[in-house]
Amino acid sequence: MIPLPFAQAAVPRGIGLAEWLVDVDTWLGRDGILSSGLDTVTLCAAVMGTGMLIAVPSAALLAHSRRGELTATALVTLGRAVPTFAVAALLVPVALRRGWGFEPWPIFIALLLLALPPLYLNTYTAIRHVEGGVVDAARAMGIGERTLLLRVELALALSVIFTGIRVAAVQVVATEPIRAFLGGDGLGRYVRDGLGQNNDTLIIGGALLIAALAATTSVAVSVVERLVVPHGVRRLKQRTAARRGSVG
Amino acid sequence: MTECAIRLLNLTKRFDGEQEPAVSALSLDVPRGRTVALIGPSGCGKTTTLRMINRLVEPTSGRIEIDGEDASARPVAELRRSIGYVIQEVGLFPHQTVSQNIATVPRMLRWDRGRIDERVAELADLLGLETEQLGRYPDELSGGQQQRVGVARALAADPPVLLMDEPFGAVDPIVRTRLQDELLALQERLRKTIVIVTHDIDEAVKVADNVALLNIGGKLEQYAAPDDLLHSPANAFVEQFLGEDREMKRLALKRVGDLPFERGPVLDLGAAPAEARALLGDARSEWLGLTQDERFAGWVPRERVDTAATLDALPRELPAAQVHPGSTLREAMEVIMNSRTSVAVIDDGGRFGGVVTLEQIRSELARRAS
Repeated sequence: MIPLPFAQAAVPRGIGLAEWLVDVDTWLGRDGILSSGLDTVTLCAAVMGTGMLIAVPSAALLAHSRRGELTATALVTLGRAVPTFAVAALLVPVALRRGWGFEPWPIFIALLLLALPPLYLNTYTAIRHVEGGVVDAARAMGIGERTLLLRVELALALSVIFTGIRVAAVQVVATEPIRAFLGGDGLGRYVRDGLGQNNDTLIIGGALLIAALAATTSVAVSVVERLVVPHGVRRLKQRTAARRGSVG
Repeated sequence: MTECAIRLLNLTKRFDGEQEPAVSALSLDVPRGRTVALIGPSGCGKTTTLRMINRLVEPTSGRIEIDGEDASARPVAELRRSIGYVIQEVGLFPHQTVSQNIATVPRMLRWDRGRIDERVAELADLLGLETEQLGRYPDELSGGQQQRVGVARALAADPPVLLMDEPFGAVDPIVRTRLQDELLALQERLRKTIVIVTHDIDEAVKVADNVALLNIGGKLEQYAAPDDLLHSPANAFVEQFLGEDREMKRLALKRVGDLPFERGPVLDLGAAPAEARALLGDARSEWLGLTQDERFAGWVPRERVDTAATLDALPRELPAAQVHPGSTLREAMEVIMNSRTSVAVIDDGGRFGGVVTLEQIRSELARRAS
């Protein structure tokens, strides 16, 4: 047996959920919710940042030059089928052998693989769906390829790209807690410890915290979208949504 | 200033993986300030030819001269900014307002704000766009309005050359006719060198000074003024492409105002009845037209004139079947066909401007285009 490298969250049995959640000690300290949450948020942010840096420029460039259609299709089918937990678990022995430790590489890579498909696909398809006439007219006016990509294609794709970012971020945040079962900490620790101690308060509390963070993430991405996406692009999305009779 | 603004010399385009060239050895001169239509069946390379002019498609061989200068020697962005481009899909930036769209090229040319605003206002006026529409987004406009914005955007930096690829193909026939009329009026004022691609022969002969009829593979079958093309097709292909009603199409090219003045059996109310009877006898007309203060007042039948003491007192039975100097002969012919007097009266801004008869139209058609 490898000794577990983390401290268990110790909660006396019989304490109610509300009582646990309002206790200052639950939130503060090295094993507190704030510290664990920050761990989770930091890892997720790193995953999303890396994912966007990889997926958005490559998808944008390929879509702009009308290449990589097959890659995109392959990613749809493949990407959705990646078993995150299995990938992370398989990477743990590899990481340990190389002396990287339990954390954070296996979980980082597994989450990155989860984030890439929606980011890549949304960027790629959104740019490919920019009307041919618009691109044609832009070129004919002497707009350079770089400006065309940045100011026209990416601008028009922005709403759909943000949808990809929201989907990826929520998935990553919701999946990150498996880290607690692979030698790490983060918000998943409460569920893990609760299971270990047969403590319902910890299990339910931990699950609620994960759900709350996922929901917050979705809202946060929307807020950023509102700040970043220009009005002219945003209203296009609203119009499309109105025509389809759906929201978002 | 050279006479011809755009010269295509032995222009050939062969696309990768295709056996036959899309355009082969095409030579064509587009005179400055004139409108040339490229027309032909699909696959004739008309769009490819157009797109080679602004280098959206690079020729395989041959040469394009714009103002005597080799187009391939100029930086492509600079070349394109000096050539307006209008396409069927319009291609307005959907995330930008109408005025932002129009300002695209001036912004790239780094005009100052005041100059851009002034130019946008000027173009809006020229194209008949409301000031209120300038702040709107393209999808809030009708198809016709969108294409007006498309034309305004193409004209923004006042390029000497305008390329149009089926510009009115996506709008309904009524709007299309109006846009064609507007293009003619615009060209009257601006005198751009325009190359327009169309598959509609009526559109070609209506808007163009010269029509280039292409066959599959970009082979030039005939290059002529519309009237020449319709009157004397160079070969069977051209004849077939133009259709059976070539002569009727020619009528649409000519205006009532171009006909020699003919007064017809028409007199002033104050004229003597004897004069009227003489006139009717000479003209072998069953109807006498009357004018009052230079305005057409109506028709009276011949038998009433025969017994009249004064023309003034005669009841006028028929109002005028009217045309205007700007009406086409085709329109005049329709009016004549529907008129009991077999004569169309020309209303020249309220004044009587003579008459049009079938005989006049026939002799006009027989006249070989100059």
